[in-house]
Amino acid sequence: MELTPDESRVLTELTGDETAMPELVARVGEDQAKVAAACTLLAEKGLVAVREVPFVEFVFKGDPLPDGWTPPRQRIFAALSDAGEPLAMQDVAARAGLEPQAVGQNLKGLLASGAVAKQGGNLALTGKPFACPETDAVLLLVSKGTAREAELVSDGVDVGALREFGPAALGKKAILEREKTDRFVQLTPAGVERKASGVEAVREVSQITPELLASGEWESVKFKPYDIHLETEPFRTGKKHPLQRVLESTRQAFLEMGFEESVSSYVESGFWDFDALFQPQDHPAREMQDTFYVAKPGKTPLPDEELVRRVRETHETGGDTGSVGWRYKWDPAKAMQNVLRTHTTATTVREVAKNPKGPRKVFSIGRVFRRETIDYKHLPIFYQVDGIIIDKDASFSTLLGTLAAFYERMGFEKFYFRPGFFPYTEPSVEVFIWHEEKQDWFEMGGSGIFRPEVTEPLGCTEPVLAWGLGLDRLAMLLHDRSDIRDLYLSDLDWLREEPRCR
Amino acid sequence: MPVIGIPTAELRRRIGEEVEGDKLLEVLGDMGCDVEGLATLRRMQCVRCGFVMELAGKEDTPPTCGNCTTPLRDVEGSTREMSPIEVVRMELLAVRPDMFDPAGLARAIRGVLGIETGPIEYPSHDVVAKLTVDPSVRRPESLRPHIACAVIENVTLDDDSIKLLMKLQENLHWALGRNRKHASIGVYDLDSLGGDTEFEYTTEPPDYRFVPLGATGSEPWTLERILEEHAKGRAYANLLQGFDRYPILRSKSGQVLSMPPIINSEETKVHGKSRRFFIDVTGSGQRIVQRTLAILVTSILEYHKDAKLGLVEIHGATDAGEVDGATTTLVTPDLAPQIARVDSEHTAKLLGIPLSTDDVEELLRKMRHGISKRNGTEIEVEVPAYRNDILHERDLMEDAAIAFGYRNIPRALVPTLTVGKELHSTRVTSDLRDILVGMGYLELFTIALTSTEQGDDVLGLAAHPRAVVLDNPISSDQTQLRTSLLPGLLQTFARNRHNALPQRVFELGEVSFLSDEAETGAHERHYVAFGTIAPKVGFAEIRAEAEAFVREARIPFRLERAEVPFLVPGRAAFLVGDAGAPIGVFGEVHPRTLARLGLQNPAVMFEMTVPTEDGTPEYLALGESPLRT
Repeated sequence: MELTPDESRVLTELTGDETAMPELVARVGEDQAKVAAACTLLAEKGLVAVREVPFVEFVFKGDPLPDGWTPPRQRIFAALSDAGEPLAMQDVAARAGLEPQAVGQNLKGLLASGAVAKQGGNLALTGKPFACPETDAVLLLVSKGTAREAELVSDGVDVGALREFGPAALGKKAILEREKTDRFVQLTPAGVERKASGVEAVREVSQITPELLASGEWESVKFKPYDIHLETEPFRTGKKHPLQRVLESTRQAFLEMGFEESVSSYVESGFWDFDALFQPQDHPAREMQDTFYVAKPGKTPLPDEELVRRVRETHETGGDTGSVGWRYKWDPAKAMQNVLRTHTTATTVREVAKNPKGPRKVFSIGRVFRRETIDYKHLPIFYQVDGIIIDKDASFSTLLGTLAAFYERMGFEKFYFRPGFFPYTEPSVEVFIWHEEKQDWFEMGGSGIFRPEVTEPLGCTEPVLAWGLGLDRLAMLLHDRSDIRDLYLSDLDWLREEPRCR
Repeated sequence: MPVIGIPTAELRRRIGEEVEGDKLLEVLGDMGCDVEGLATLRRMQCVRCGFVMELAGKEDTPPTCGNCTTPLRDVEGSTREMSPIEVVRMELLAVRPDMFDPAGLARAIRGVLGIETGPIEYPSHDVVAKLTVDPSVRRPESLRPHIACAVIENVTLDDDSIKLLMKLQENLHWALGRNRKHASIGVYDLDSLGGDTEFEYTTEPPDYRFVPLGATGSEPWTLERILEEHAKGRAYANLLQGFDRYPILRSKSGQVLSMPPIINSEETKVHGKSRRFFIDVTGSGQRIVQRTLAILVTSILEYHKDAKLGLVEIHGATDAGEVDGATTTLVTPDLAPQIARVDSEHTAKLLGIPLSTDDVEELLRKMRHGISKRNGTEIEVEVPAYRNDILHERDLMEDAAIAFGYRNIPRALVPTLTVGKELHSTRVTSDLRDILVGMGYLELFTIALTSTEQGDDVLGLAAHPRAVVLDNPISSDQTQLRTSLLPGLLQTFARNRHNALPQRVFELGEVSFLSDEAETGAHERHYVAFGTIAPKVGFAEIRAEAEAFVREARIPFRLERAEVPFLVPGRAAFLVGDAGAPIGVFGEVHPRTLARLGLQNPAVMFEMTVPTEDGTPEYLALGESPLRT
């Protein structure tokens, strides 16, 4: 059992008989707190016994009293005696040489003695004698400064009167009464034995220093133990954003499935955002209410004439796609208008046009824009992953399989595919995933096989599987957030506290 | 999407076979309906016109009747409480208006469940009425030159069926009519016309008069007054804006039926005792008015099995093609099926399900299509007239898939091997992100939409001349795409004043600039920005971190003193790239900028362009503001 330097010095100074703490402190020559702490540790080790005796002590904390001081009660009684007649309060104060409120404060005690009574507004003597027992007690305490209750009692003063009338006489904060404890320390038999066997002091060290290491002294010191439960300043790690982690897992999933990444501009022409996707020009999604139109740069020139002709004919009559078309007059001006892309399907349909020959797998992760007012569910801007598979063997079955494979990779096990309806895919499907903890289905996005009205004008004759899935929703589910604003208008405390690993 | 309540008792009665509650919801979902669940609705009837309103939970009586606009709320005796009703609440499936009401929905469910498959014949008898279209309706700029009509006889209405009819009409207006713009429906009591069976669709000037629905006992209103004062007039006046003559539908003897697409006349309104109806649909295209009419009429015929459908001969009808096309004579409604073809082999291959021609036929019959012929694997399909959504063979393949059930489709992966490849920018930004996380920075995403006030002004810069500007912003804070990441980071500090310091954040994101080289006139650049706010932080720290970061990023650079409005003069530097142009900037944030955001601790910031395959592009966030010294 190792002892710290403090413990060993305390042990050295103690015997099998009790030593009072003040004496021990004096013998050890260290400050009281250190000695007391060492005693407590030694007691825990069973080497010393500490006996505690509680007592009450009075302390005078007021200013020194003037010579010939008498308590206010005495002075009020004397003033009334001198006057020989009832006096009004303010007269009592003047004659007794007291502040008026001091008369008030001491009056209760005086009335209780029975020697003074109220007569209307005046004070009068009743003829009963008046003794003032606090006088001696106060004077004794003031002379001692600090005195134990037992000491005052044995000196024959009235401690009860000191308690009762003292504060009014001297002022509330002038007398402090407190409970204290005397400690008596002695060695236990084990302590006696330990002392007899020799006490070796070990130096205690908190900070390991280069000197300590260089001198080799570290071999003989004790490292001061810390309270391992004590709170420390929090350490802040650098960290990727939760949404970024979802974007990365998404990207990783598609890369692993053999997809090539693609990107396009936020500013997109109506042609690629809508027309090339067989979205009729009067479709509600194209209204000013739902889509951000761009003033600068306002227009994109139409792509090559042949492509534009095929797209126009498909809208108007179906062209040679076998479709009946939407049956309206297609307006090139609307196709030139720039919008902030409403989906990254604009990116993937551009890929179909760029290289319509399969087999190809392409994905794009990016921001998309909808004209929404900000609230807990909506932001005007959010992330989507769009993907396409151009393959002669692609089918609706492989579409569902690919979507399931992606969400399995993201940690989900159950899916529901509900028929969906989009202008540019047929068959179409809405994708739901089952959240085990929340015990609910969550809609993740839309998907389908591009309509021939989309692919054929672009020169593509193979089936093109396509999907556009929301990623913010997924990030919210994975990080248990119910307010989408948390992702973009972040509270740093949340970002700091949200663990990196799920 | 509007949410509708389909009365479950009525729906079940029409399906005819016992379907459990959960199973019913499941079937609806598998058909593509967005089902919210079951709900019980209170019902309240307008005493005056008999219109039934459904109220969810604690909903108060509506202020006015949804049909005749009589004030209801707080008016004693204006409403009658009816028994509550259980409904399936679901979003209106806009592409399937034939499934908007219990009758049409049950027709589809019976097919999918195999209770009854194939098409339904809706017999019609003779032409019983005649309508003439006045040439004034067909002026080139007219929005509604097309009209289709029908007569339905021998119908007994109760409150519920009036309600359903009105609801269906309302929902068709929304979904097919695009809020009455493309198609607008009118239903009238034929008996109120005293045996008149000849009608005309014409136009009249604004001072023409009739009594609009809801104005009982009043003098006739002028068309102008209807547009200005009548609730429906005000609601739809925009559809007639700019015309000096308005559409009028009236009988040969001069009784006005309606002013399409605004309001019917009071005299011809449908009530509980009505037995014969005249129906019209006016609109912008021949196909849309015909389809709308077919959906409405077949739903009524589904609902009233004894009803008889009468045809209407339309003279001077605008031809199906262009607005200024020739005229023709039509007989409506045209309930003849649309003939389409689908190849069963193609269907099986596209869906990835082994299906025989018989299988495909059976699936299509479940979707209530008729099969008229088969030629090898090619099937000739009769698409019911109430289906508005079959444009292509592909739509029939989807119908087959829905009938098969998406949940029964096996899931597979494309067997073809392809090699994954990420973008160069993905690799670079991912490396930069690693460096910053290693430096102890916390990543942020901020909103990429901003404004001059929220962006350039924060930095003390002039409005950026190359910013992408929106035409129809939704708020004054978001009028353009961002040109720098710094305002977003500074605003994050401002928003997090109550959180512990130091705060060290970064963002790797796209900023947008106008560009003559870009196809659409604008392009994105990846930028990286980081910064620290702390009681004690200054140029020395950001100088050290900037250097460490750029060195780790392996970007050649030298430093030049910078003077930019948002950094303290003498404590700001440009990173200058190989080409001699600045590629980034960093320094101590100017107290003016801190004060503007209410920040009470010093901050340091860094921003730089992310290298592309062709080197590190010039740093453009400062617009025309930067001064290099």
